[in-house]
Amino acid sequence: MIEQVTAHVKTLLEEGKINAFLGLRDQNGNIFPYVYEKPEDLSDGFSIGDLEGPGDSRYPIAKILMTLVSSVPDKVVGVLLRGCDERALNELLRWNQMTQTDRIVRVGIACPAALAKAHECRKPFPDEFVAGEKAEPVSNASVDEVMALDLLARLDYWKQEFNRCIKCYGCRDVCPVCFCNVCTLEEDALIRTGELPPENPMFHLTRAVHMAGRCIDCNLCTEVCPAEIPLRTLYKKVAEIVKGEFGYVTGEPGGGKSPLNILGPDPGHTSAND
Amino acid sequence: MTVKRIAFLKQLLEFSGVDPERLLLKWVSSAEGPRYAKVVTEFIEKIRSLGPSPLGKAELARKAG
Repeated sequence: MIEQVTAHVKTLLEEGKINAFLGLRDQNGNIFPYVYEKPEDLSDGFSIGDLEGPGDSRYPIAKILMTLVSSVPDKVVGVLLRGCDERALNELLRWNQMTQTDRIVRVGIACPAALAKAHECRKPFPDEFVAGEKAEPVSNASVDEVMALDLLARLDYWKQEFNRCIKCYGCRDVCPVCFCNVCTLEEDALIRTGELPPENPMFHLTRAVHMAGRCIDCNLCTEVCPAEIPLRTLYKKVAEIVKGEFGYVTGEPGGGKSPLNILGPDPGHTSAND
Repeated sequence: MTVKRIAFLKQLLEFSGVDPERLLLKWVSSAEGPRYAKVVTEFIEKIRSLGPSPLGKAELARKAG
């Protein structure tokens, strides 16, 4: 799989179709995002994030791309995209975090079934990919499990989970669609700072609200959380509400705007009065 | 925007274990004094009937014992 990707990227660089490629690099067993500018660099540690197993080293590459394309305004940049990365890129485009799509060349890879299963991925492949095979989407039942509890039991469940939070901001920092320059979670006037665990449940519910119409369900937050808080279950519900209420699905291509990114009513939401 | 946010928030509260009935959004003009009083009084009655909030300080202290 990596051979096909390397060959494809090499051709793009050699033919001058891209000036740089944002991928991953493996150096002494450490995988990190890396910008390749010369075809020959690809022979030195080029990686698609497979350390011990396929795709066990993932990064919010779409957010890194966002910084990259704005810092090199004259370059055409290629980028390595899994299904989740593509959803993140689509969502960032919809939120106007990148505008010049002609400067972005997508190099997609499809994830193997085992990886899709490990992350319960809703679409483990980008629309177009150069390597790998389409694996079946995997569903997740955690939202229904929580909904099966009664109201007070649900509150207890979440409070217990949030109580382990050490406020490392890992969920926010790794999130490919958390792009704000100023973050509510650090505003003392809105959420008390200097407390551990952070104000429970306000801290996490605030983040959940901000995930509305944004979360593309990549599972990175849950993967990095040192306290093993099932954040994804929360954000999955958020996505479910946004879809049910406004018919908006995150991560899809095209210029559709999140209902919470535009002013004005949505059909069926014209008035709060009786 | 607010209408959309509240519609969303009610469902998020329900999922998190807070009764969405505790949240109310109404538009009342500054010229509608009596209506304002009515809306607030009705909501206070509703909140009373729902009892203390499970997130309120008193309830948390009671739980901690």
